[in-house]
Amino acid sequence: MPGTTTSHDIELIIEKKTGDGGGKVPPAGGDGGGNDEGKNRPKRQPSPNRYYTGIAIGIVSVLMFFMALASAFLVRKGGPDWVPVHIPWLLWLNTAVLATSSGTLEMARKRLAHADVGGFRNLWLMTTVLGVVFLAGQLVAWRMLVGQGIYLASNPASSFFYIFTGAHALHLIGGVGALIYVARRNFDAAKLTRSVAAEVTSYYWHFMDGLWLFLLALLYLGR
Amino acid sequence: MVTYDDGATGPSTTGRGMIALLFSTRHKAIGLRYLWLSLVSVLVGMVLSALLRVHTSWPTTAIPFLSGFESLAERYAAMRLLHGSLMVFFVLTAAPQLGFGNFLLPLQIGAEEMAFPTLNCVSLWMTVVSLAGMTASFFRPLSQGIDMWLASAAIFSLAALFSALNFVVTTIQLRTAGMTLPRLPITVWAWFVNAILSMLIFSVLLAGSAAVLSDRLLGSNFFSAAAFLAQQPHNLMREGSSPVLWQRLFWYFAQAEVYVAMLPCFGIVTHLIATFARKPVWKERLVVLAICGVGLIGFCVWGYHMFATGMNPYAPLVFSVLASSLGVPAAFLLASWVGTLWNGHVRFTTSMLFAIGFISLFVAGGLSGIFLARHDLAHAAVSEEFVVGHFHLVMGVAATFAILAALFFWFPKLFGGRMNETLGKVHFWMTFAGVYCIFMPMHWLGLLTQSTLLPDAQRAAVASVGASIRTVVTAATIWTVAAQVLFVVNFFGTLRRRKGAEENNPWGATTLEWSIVSPAPSDNFGRGEAPAVYRGAYEFGAQFAPDFVPQDLAPESLEQRTVNPRKENSCRARRHHTISS
Repeated sequence: MPGTTTSHDIELIIEKKTGDGGGKVPPAGGDGGGNDEGKNRPKRQPSPNRYYTGIAIGIVSVLMFFMALASAFLVRKGGPDWVPVHIPWLLWLNTAVLATSSGTLEMARKRLAHADVGGFRNLWLMTTVLGVVFLAGQLVAWRMLVGQGIYLASNPASSFFYIFTGAHALHLIGGVGALIYVARRNFDAAKLTRSVAAEVTSYYWHFMDGLWLFLLALLYLGR
Repeated sequence: MVTYDDGATGPSTTGRGMIALLFSTRHKAIGLRYLWLSLVSVLVGMVLSALLRVHTSWPTTAIPFLSGFESLAERYAAMRLLHGSLMVFFVLTAAPQLGFGNFLLPLQIGAEEMAFPTLNCVSLWMTVVSLAGMTASFFRPLSQGIDMWLASAAIFSLAALFSALNFVVTTIQLRTAGMTLPRLPITVWAWFVNAILSMLIFSVLLAGSAAVLSDRLLGSNFFSAAAFLAQQPHNLMREGSSPVLWQRLFWYFAQAEVYVAMLPCFGIVTHLIATFARKPVWKERLVVLAICGVGLIGFCVWGYHMFATGMNPYAPLVFSVLASSLGVPAAFLLASWVGTLWNGHVRFTTSMLFAIGFISLFVAGGLSGIFLARHDLAHAAVSEEFVVGHFHLVMGVAATFAILAALFFWFPKLFGGRMNETLGKVHFWMTFAGVYCIFMPMHWLGLLTQSTLLPDAQRAAVASVGASIRTVVTAATIWTVAAQVLFVVNFFGTLRRRKGAEENNPWGATTLEWSIVSPAPSDNFGRGEAPAVYRGAYEFGAQFAPDFVPQDLAPESLEQRTVNPRKENSCRARRHHTISS
């Protein structure tokens, strides 16, 4: 990240340098900067970079949230009151659904890159539907556990199972919201383009996918 | 989009206008609102501290409006919690970072707005909700109150995360042309590093308080009170108490929170010292490194803190080494402040006095911190009062001094007009003397616990000394709180009397916010216009005709301003160096 920022700055300086003739030749408009105390004011150009940086920083923060819970999980695991939870088989199916959704999301973006908005919309909708199916599947998995008499309050392992799946689902609902937003928003008059919005959303979605794989591995291996 | 300069003078009074005004997304309106929030919190928190002291010295005195307070230990504890919550969350965390940061960061980097204005507005109002929740929890029965407090802490964490995201992205992406990283004012560095640190630790507080809330409300088993209490020495337990809930939150978060409060203050003080000593910051890059170092170590201390609650017996030692190593960046900062002041043409404005006062308090409080960083301190029989004295001096009062310094300095840019210097100086000296008389004797009180080792006759004598010291502390508290009336009079008096026009740059400062009119206009540098930056933030010195060069002064104007051309060449050489690298 610092590397890209620096090169960006140098670019700006060079641009500035050609703008005022490298500091030797007086600028075209003013004579020695008499009018505006010698201040040359470039115009602002809105840049989509803030959205990329924003999502990257946001992802780090979300990761930190789950890492705090994961480290609590690892510390707590040694306790005498720990009763392992057997993961419902449905979770493996849900995982496949979520992984597929990442694939369709990438295919949708590829269609958008080829300026095929219709194809993009279809695949994007499919991603959204797969996301909702995953969420519904998680809910059914919870019902299955409740059917076995395993509740949030049963023991520490079940508490962690519910909070990991629940917190991930909450974050994924945000992702579904973003998918719907990108699908429905009119990008004609907006500051950011559809492809930027789709790319930023895709980072978050893939992160949610990867995070789920991590959590599943933690819950499965850390029983 | 609303267009007005601050929260206090909105033009519209229609219903729709009022809503737009209330939910303004302008960074300056939001920054000012955080400052108002802090002002209310600090005044309430201060009155609470005086009440707490009165209760400690004269336990049987009835306190007006709080009947039954003197007989209930629970109410006393709740009041201490309210004092701490208001001061830590809504003054120390909110004012230097969220208040001044939101207002000044976009101005200092030449940006028009924060990166995500709507998110910024959301986080302001979440902070307001959290303040209301924490205050209301004081008036509820204990068990309900704790749940409410935890929920408020979670909301505050989420708000802090949104703000931190905004600060980081704004600093990385919205710097104006020529504002390279080495040219950033130290204040911006401090806000930036602090935002990254907040980003990491507030996620953890959020996870922690969500887990504790779930334990309390839904009966989950993240933190088992029974397992924890079994490990505690017997005298720490009271019937039916479960300190584990609070302690977990503390481990998760509180240690790093100290640095979250202090980092922006380091930035502010470094900036003010250079400006009023009319000298460049001594070893500027080292200062930036030291600020990053405080952030990094602050974060690691948290990490080891958390493992210390687990199993590793070596963790406390590692934590202790890390906590002590905070002294290294702190020493760098101190050396730079002294180096900047050395041979400077120091202007003793009220703002500068508060900045120097900050250094004094930071050193005095920091020295006792060296003892507290020892992992075997528990054996030394030092009581709570030593700790209370230490962290109030170094964190509470020092940070408040930095906030006051910043307020006196940026008042023209915030509101227009300048606060009264004479009144400000009297206020400074009264407060400075007052806080030393409160917290130094408190350190002695902490050490007096050692008297349990003495024979009975001497112990009685020591106890009577202790009682009189407590009375002195209480009297000094009342004196200090009373001195703040001067500040309130000065602040609101200046607000009322301020004229529309104020000099753009009354202090002869170099950074971008001083290149525009005071108070700062709604569109910062002009709609769609961006300033260009040509040099670092601390170009002070006698070689210039007015003794400073603004960051946005074009190189061709610099020649007219330079007395000694040698320096000018070096400036230009540095610029070319940046281009070619």
